[in-house]
Amino acid sequence: MENYNERYARHYSLSDFGFEGQEKLLQAKVLVIGAGGLGCPVLQYLVAAGIGTVGIVDHDYISLSNLQRQTLYSTEDIGKMKAEVASIKLQKLNPEITIKTYQVELTSKNAWNIISEYDIVVDCTDNFAARYLINDACVLLKKPFVFGAIYKYEGQVAVFNSNLKSNKKINYRHLFPNPPKPEEVQNCNEVGVLGVLPGMIGMMQANEVIKLITGLGEILDGKLLTFNMLNYETFIMDISNENLNENLIPQNKEAFEVTNYEVLCGISTKNIKELNPDDFIEQTLNENTLTIDVREINELPKANFKHIQIPLSELNERLSEIKEEHIVLFCQSGKRSLKAAEILMEYFGNQKKISHLKGGIIALQKRKNEQSN
Amino acid sequence: MEIKIISFGQIAEITGKELMGEGTDLDSLKLHLIQKFPELSDKKFAFAVNKKLVQENINLNQNDVVALMPPYSGG
Repeated sequence: MENYNERYARHYSLSDFGFEGQEKLLQAKVLVIGAGGLGCPVLQYLVAAGIGTVGIVDHDYISLSNLQRQTLYSTEDIGKMKAEVASIKLQKLNPEITIKTYQVELTSKNAWNIISEYDIVVDCTDNFAARYLINDACVLLKKPFVFGAIYKYEGQVAVFNSNLKSNKKINYRHLFPNPPKPEEVQNCNEVGVLGVLPGMIGMMQANEVIKLITGLGEILDGKLLTFNMLNYETFIMDISNENLNENLIPQNKEAFEVTNYEVLCGISTKNIKELNPDDFIEQTLNENTLTIDVREINELPKANFKHIQIPLSELNERLSEIKEEHIVLFCQSGKRSLKAAEILMEYFGNQKKISHLKGGIIALQKRKNEQSN
Repeated sequence: MEIKIISFGQIAEITGKELMGEGTDLDSLKLHLIQKFPELSDKKFAFAVNKKLVQENINLNQNDVVALMPPYSGG
């Protein structure tokens, strides 16, 4: 056999896959966005399978709490960039393919150039702003993308914007036309996750990628699969019979590049200042500033700087306790502090200067890990 | 008419995983659900009737199964 490669021997001997299937994988270019819980298994299996070019987009650092599920990383990697460590480990797994890293946050400004180099995109992100951004970019660039998401003990998988089986291309906005507001959903930092779940869902995403490339089996084309890891129940719903309001997606590259997906998802709000960890620490040292932890009592990690505690659930009743002019809020991931900032803004208007820690105490810890490394 | 409802994710935490609802069409079922579970009014979820996504109001029949599917975002 020409170009026989022992590495893929088990693919060659597999009926309906064979040498031809392997050649298709080797020719393919797949972009994995997010190298976290979902991204790790997706990357490991796609690289092992011999996808010719694999791109990794991630701007996050490895932290200790990642390691119970993000199996590409080791304890010694804490504080390093995920994309970089992933790329080194994956290249050892398969040195014969090309791995490209993009250590940037995917934004509407850079997404176009990055995505246009690939055939298929795998959405392994953990927030709605990124998911809607990827959806819209893939629709405009006509790229199929494999969606995966988790919540507690359940996960969702779908293949969007592919028209292998029908003429109609289905995307995430057919299912949920507009992004939810922060209060309409919870994120994983707040609800927790059992480590094997992203492994299972990520592997389903990798499977869909391989099927898309090779034409094997039936892909979840315009279908949303929901999987429950506690009882193995699977629910597949068809989302292909609904029409989409086309106006929700930017009409062209120019319109896409000026769309702010964080604002669409209610993450960034006018007049509420977002602080990065360094600015946050500086602010808390200012004696005219009142720093408030809006997490519930007993949430960990405890803050080791001067602050008072008013849980978000009690904030409305305790507004009169807040006398200072400069208010800095923080919580675990930055969602509750933003909500608290909105409440304060509504009550105090522009009388007070209100800011919150973007990314929460998690971002603060990451920054500390980074500095100690 | 009694309709079987199955819920997922965050919605199941409010309604339970399986329940029976009342309605002759999807709008009346929605109303019935929101009266029974006021918390649902500010949650986001899609409706599937017999495993097919439905966004507009449609008539419901005996033995139809309605799924309440929220968006998941964790990764």
